[in-house]
Amino acid sequence: MLKIEAQPWAVMVEHGRACFPRECCGILVGSAGDAGDNVVTLAIACTNAYEGDQKDRFELDPRDVIKAERAAREQRQGVVGFFHSHPNEDAYFSATDLKFSAPGYSNVVMSIRDGEFSHAKCFIANFDQTAAEPEELHYA
Amino acid sequence: MPKILIPTPLRQFAGNNDTVDVAGVATVGEALGALVTQHPDLRKNLYNDEGKLRSFVNIYVNDEDIRYLSKEKTEVKDSDTISIVPSIAGGGR
Repeated sequence: MLKIEAQPWAVMVEHGRACFPRECCGILVGSAGDAGDNVVTLAIACTNAYEGDQKDRFELDPRDVIKAERAAREQRQGVVGFFHSHPNEDAYFSATDLKFSAPGYSNVVMSIRDGEFSHAKCFIANFDQTAAEPEELHYA
Repeated sequence: MPKILIPTPLRQFAGNNDTVDVAGVATVGEALGALVTQHPDLRKNLYNDEGKLRSFVNIYVNDEDIRYLSKEKTEVKDSDTISIVPSIAGGGR
């Protein structure tokens, strides 16, 4: 289960709205909760580094991930996942999302319709990236 | 000695350590080899069946991507930090 606190959730939704009709992307920092589930305490809105039409593609700059990892470690936390938006599409985990994922991380997909948040789902890719399992998602 | 930062999902395969120090290594390849020798469960998470780094694994020495240096032959010093950085992309298409 992934729980996202109110402040990082607001950052994520605002980033999705601001980037519409392009896909947004970002990094989720957090720690293990009491039940062993991850709690997101910080969402970092990143620039979409995909060089092409961003209405249905995104790419994170690895240097942003390194910066996030360093910031997380200073707080004794870690990068636990990533987020991106699907403008005017549902919050599914596409074949492209799966192909370019990394196993073990939570991936939050937000559906942004006509510039407003619609719904979100979370997925974790399996070891060999042949499938993604839904992960229970709670947000404030 | 160089240290390797272990990303969150892989710590369970590295004795729950977030950092692993590797001694007696001169290159990134040797450092990663020492890492998977210390923590064998990490091997299949980092390397494919052909022994190459998996597609989502980026390796940085300090702030430099080894793909733009000498790849796994990139030299490392005792003061260097090696980061295992996931490559993340995707999209609705």
